[in-house]
Amino acid sequence: MIRFLGIFRLLKIAKKSAFRMNFIVCIKQVPDVSAPVSIRDGHLQTDSDRMVLNAYDASAVEEALVLTEKHGGRVDVVLIGPEKAKETIRKALAMGAEAGFHIPVEDGAGYDSAGYAAILAAFLKTHSYDAILTGKQSQDTDSGLAGGMLADRLGLPYAANAVGLELEGNALLVKRQGDTAQEMVLVPLPGVVTCSNDMNNPRIPSLKGIMASKKKEVTTVSPAELGLDAAALKPATVVTGYRNVPARNPGKKFEADAEELARTLVGLLQNEAKVI
Amino acid sequence: MRPILVYLAVSGGRLKKSSLEVLSHARGLAKQAGAPLEALIVDADPGAHVAEAANYGPDRIRTIADPVFGTHLNEPLTQALETAIRAADPAVVCFASTEAVKDVLGALASRLGAAALPDVSHFELTADGVKAVRPVMAAKVLAETVATGTTVLVSVRSGSYDAVPAPGSPAVEALPFALGNVGVVLKEILAAAGGQVDLNEAQVVVAAGRGVKDEEGKRLIEELAAVTGAAIGASRAVVETGMFPATTQIGQTGKVVSPTLYFAVGISGAIQHVAGMANSKVIVAINKDGDAPIFQYATYGLVGDLYKILPALIKEWKSL
Ligand SMILES: Cc1cc2nc3c(=O)[nH]c(=O)nc-3n(C[C@H](O)[C@H](O)[C@H](O)COP(=O)(O)OP(=O)(O)OC[C@H]3O[C@@H](n4cnc5c(N)ncnc54)[C@H](O)[C@@H]3O)c2cc1C
Ligand SMILES: Nc1ncnc2c1ncn2[C@@H]1O[C@H](COP(=O)(O)O)[C@@H](O)[C@H]1O
Repeated sequence: MIRFLGIFRLLKIAKKSAFRMNFIVCIKQVPDVSAPVSIRDGHLQTDSDRMVLNAYDASAVEEALVLTEKHGGRVDVVLIGPEKAKETIRKALAMGAEAGFHIPVEDGAGYDSAGYAAILAAFLKTHSYDAILTGKQSQDTDSGLAGGMLADRLGLPYAANAVGLELEGNALLVKRQGDTAQEMVLVPLPGVVTCSNDMNNPRIPSLKGIMASKKKEVTTVSPAELGLDAAALKPATVVTGYRNVPARNPGKKFEADAEELARTLVGLLQNEAKVI
Repeated sequence: MRPILVYLAVSGGRLKKSSLEVLSHARGLAKQAGAPLEALIVDADPGAHVAEAANYGPDRIRTIADPVFGTHLNEPLTQALETAIRAADPAVVCFASTEAVKDVLGALASRLGAAALPDVSHFELTADGVKAVRPVMAAKVLAETVATGTTVLVSVRSGSYDAVPAPGSPAVEALPFALGNVGVVLKEILAAAGGQVDLNEAQVVVAAGRGVKDEEGKRLIEELAAVTGAAIGASRAVVETGMFPATTQIGQTGKVVSPTLYFAVGISGAIQHVAGMANSKVIVAINKDGDAPIFQYATYGLVGDLYKILPALIKEWKSL
């Protein structure tokens, strides 16, 4: 009877999909860009210093979860960051990822995308995943480089700026946002996909998810264990200081009936702004 | 001095204006540094664009031709750029920050061992690299960033500089190119319905937000765009409703535009939207909520119902 049930379960999984895909999602902890920021001694400070899971990475986690719920498989996450950033790993685990890897680096280590990509590549060379997902960019720096750099370092095919993801045979069918059209591309596996937040709306972890995440494993892997030496990671790009965006000239605001508003605006655009 | 190389993107059968903006700025930098200025065209038929490129004063134009460049795919473009960069050995390579360039910049930098400065709003040359200004934190702050290295790649936000012709008679050189292994396959192009004006090129943009609620609102947006000669943009919230195609999305996730005139219609002005349009010269906001954040950025703010204001505005514009 037990044996029979076991086979039944196996068959059920097999029916779901022939291919159970293992995902790893690269996640980053970033300052909350919607909090007010100020510049002190050339350093950036957000009002709350609140740190969050990069929104683009949250969409990547969500998409991997949806695909594994549909086809089977598992989702792990990896994060490079200071000790405090482990809370962001917990967030992804609470969403439903199975295991987390934390690669500790000092806060303010000053790595650029190339540095993070080098560390991620060294880590991923020692692990086997079918699909590697990243965010399309970090919300705080809008760099958008690490995904492509990682793919190149691993010698893997990739698609960037994905707004849709499907499993097709043993490949990922990616809908990506291009300049004037969307492109459907087939990425053979193993491969890398960088995800847009236009792909989905990431789930809010449930209470059950949060409780379950506490029992999930987070493995620490030091850069030294990965055979990385600090000199090789020395960033080629360095932020030397921050400045405020020059203020726009104060504008004019009008409240009146529609016809008067239209006349006023067209007059100003013609005679003051001189753009018509 | 090693050359400065500018990649000129082709879109809709023409060189992209944003590429010519970058070429114009690079021309000034090259002259100052005494460095040769080179342009690169990668296309199925690059010869068709040589005359236009020559009009912006490069000392040399390099071309790579292959039918594969009739459509975009990251690996072939990366290979072409790598080929050209190895041939020209430039100190700095400049790009307009298009989606196609964003698609390849990381992999290209990694392949060349080059430093990359993406999405800058200003850059200049230094003794050993590039100094740039990058909008960060959803474009709320500017980061002064320096890059050093044998080769530095810089991509520039559209509208950061003016495209200024300076006719010359450059040497033209076709580079040999043999397409290598390509893993990713392009299956289909999902073009937006009704064809798409390139938002980056537009002098006037009419952008719709969630305040545009129905077909009637959409029609008003389209009519205002038609009478003002504008390209249509959209907020993420209204793209989500399916009323406007994703290619029209402006903001941190979408496109960065800086037209002469930007209409924000029924858009609240969330920072992630503003990140994509704050550099527009004149911003007109139309919103029924007088406290909407968009009014902080607006040159001219009209407080009221878009369903009443747009018909009046269209009528007024038509009577010009
Ligand atoms: C990581 C990240 C990236 C993002 N990227 C982008 C992006 O690229 N682009 C983008 O746009 N957003 C982006 N967003 C979303 C952004 O935060 C906002 O949710 C979005 O911009 C809101 O769009 P909206 O202003 O159209 O909608 P709402 O905020 O809902 O505003 C609608 C406005 O319409 C007004 N209105 C309603 N009816 C009328 C009427 N009849 N007449 C006049 N006014 C009316 C209302 O007063 C309101 O101000 C991003 C968010 C995140 C987290
Ligand atoms: N410190 C990090 N830890 C894990 N993943 C990262 C890290 N930095 C960048 N990434 C990944 O690379 C993507 C692009 O980053 P960026 O090049 O900084 O815009 C992010 O969305 C993440 O998926």
